Amino acid sequence: MKTFLTTTALALGLAAPAMADDITVGFAIAQSGWLEAYDTPAATAARIRIDEINANGGLLGKQIVWTQADTKSDQAQSASAGLQLIDEGADMLIVSCDYDFGAPAALAAESEGMNSFFLCAEDVKAGIQGVGPNSFSASVLAAVQGATMAEWSMAQREAKTGYVLLDTTIEYNKGICTGFDWMFPAAGGEIVGRDTFKNGDASIASQITRIKALSEEPDVIMLCSYIPGAASAVRQIRAAGINSLILNGSAVDGSYWLDATPDLSGFIVPVQGSIYGDDPRPAVEAFNQAYEKATGSRPASSYAYPGYVLIDLWAKAVERAGTLDGAAVTAELEKMQGEETAFGPRSFSDQLHHQNSAEMQIVEISSGTPAVVGSWTISTPVPLDVLLK
Amino acid sequence: MGTVAQLFFDAVSLGGIYAMAALGIALIFGVMNLVNFAHGEYIAFCVFALIVPSTDAVAVMFLGKAPALVLIPALLILGALMAMTSEYVVFRHFRRADPVAMMIASFALGFVIQNGLLAIYGSRPKAISLWPSLNTPIHVAGADVPLLQLIVIIATLLVVSGLALLLKKTRIGLEMRAAAENFTMARMLGVRANVVITGAFALSGALAAAVAMIMVTQTGVADVRMGGSIMLVAFIATVIGGMGSLPGAVAAGFLIGAVSVLLQAFLPLDARPFRDAFLYTLVIVCLLLRPQGLFASPNSKPRV
Repeated sequence: MKTFLTTTALALGLAAPAMADDITVGFAIAQSGWLEAYDTPAATAARIRIDEINANGGLLGKQIVWTQADTKSDQAQSASAGLQLIDEGADMLIVSCDYDFGAPAALAAESEGMNSFFLCAEDVKAGIQGVGPNSFSASVLAAVQGATMAEWSMAQREAKTGYVLLDTTIEYNKGICTGFDWMFPAAGGEIVGRDTFKNGDASIASQITRIKALSEEPDVIMLCSYIPGAASAVRQIRAAGINSLILNGSAVDGSYWLDATPDLSGFIVPVQGSIYGDDPRPAVEAFNQAYEKATGSRPASSYAYPGYVLIDLWAKAVERAGTLDGAAVTAELEKMQGEETAFGPRSFSDQLHHQNSAEMQIVEISSGTPAVVGSWTISTPVPLDVLLK
Repeated sequence: MGTVAQLFFDAVSLGGIYAMAALGIALIFGVMNLVNFAHGEYIAFCVFALIVPSTDAVAVMFLGKAPALVLIPALLILGALMAMTSEYVVFRHFRRADPVAMMIASFALGFVIQNGLLAIYGSRPKAISLWPSLNTPIHVAGADVPLLQLIVIIATLLVVSGLALLLKKTRIGLEMRAAAENFTMARMLGVRANVVITGAFALSGALAAAVAMIMVTQTGVADVRMGGSIMLVAFIATVIGGMGSLPGAVAAGFLIGAVSVLLQAFLPLDARPFRDAFLYTLVIVCLLLRPQGLFASPNSKPRV
């Protein structure tokens, strides 16, 4: 009996993606390896939106089902995961957070003329520029985060001098610093120095020596890095007695690493929404609670949110196009200008499948406690030539 | 004056970490010609032993809660046990295998440890606040030096002189030196192979634990991949120090740390992202000029 049930369950499980009446969303994401921590929350959020759509009658009158294949945080596996899902009948692909790891699967979708969405890639290449005309990213470009930090710190904290500390390990970091470098001088600030380090460096003592050698402590330090390197840099900067306001990209969001620098203050993170329950928009907190219901814990960082946004936008575009055809859905997505979502308005164009401007919540960590201190939208969208630098 | 002193302390403290890691690799290479690529994972293992096993994003201190007097010996012993276990379970079966097979086995072991940590702790990096007050700078000779940097420098000197004493003055030390020189001959003369090799692994594991404590105090984070980069530097240090030469590994560890800090300090900004490329170019030059390593022991040359 047990065997029979197992066999039936297996058969149903295998048959489910092939059912003609359903719409299949394929997740070619990391279910194991280091990237899993970034892919799983966003994928969970995407599935929450899928469940909501199904509960409201589905998409084009059909239910959405999902299949997944593990990329094992490996670029070569990403391509085969993508191909496997396409073979199994996926109608669109959702790929890993990171451009380098999501692109092989996205390229597989592109070659079939299918839509692909990066879960939370923030490099301009994750879209038209690096994959092709039917590829999108649901997140906000890294350069927008850096530019937001530059403009906000000057307007709200009267910052005049800035120091740029770039972790050269990944492209995302360079994107943040590019945005800061573009906006800070343009808004009248002066960059008084810059330095680089690597995420895995055992010590950044010589970088700190250079900051301390400045005649005056800079008002802000733009730290373009991610956890764990960022946490380690902050610990060392604060321990050395440097009290400048530290600006960051969204990648350091989440309070899980704050123990690395006990009692941290003057640390700013721009995010798409607050995980701390104090977001001014009720829809964000409603999502946080839905996420907690689905997984047993609140999101650990704001990187869950783009997953929800991407299904929301894609489903709207499919509904408007009346078809799942990649090119038709792309055309509808590109018509979106200031399309409302739970996490703020989103726009796409035939030049850019990314957000080159977005409303960001500013989270400040004071005495080890994060809280939203305002929201900011940059005055000018980041131009394409800056993004492609 | 202040700048020179600052550079000196930055260089020596980074070099000290590298030297300790290199020593751990050189010890094992000396007795059994094994380049243990799992050494970086021993370091990561010791770091994670500080926190409660869980895939939750927020880390809860486990061993890390203990007072320093308990924590330090406990972690050193744990590192030693980890290394001894891996010797017993894996490397003992490769005694007669050629060094390439052993090296591959060490890669495989490293992979198993890393994935074990991933499975138990999840892939998100964790924050660990171990002795944060040690990062507070104090004023020495015109430079601001975090207390930890001084501790690293002193600890490295203590470890190196302690090891030198052990190797020179004790029976096991004598046996290790004999084994490093000519393992077969040493065995024929009554040196107990298992004791010597297990002893070398225990010391190597304890050194990995020491590096782990320094790294975690300095950076405040635990990441499953954190041992990889330091392992690479340490391995290179053992190569340019002269494979199997313990003083060579220590000297080369300090040298790499110093050169790395000097490059970071004096390279122009545009070239600074390529610091490691410059560093490794110097390593290549070093090896072209002295393929046997800078401080090779005379007996490492093939004798005809």
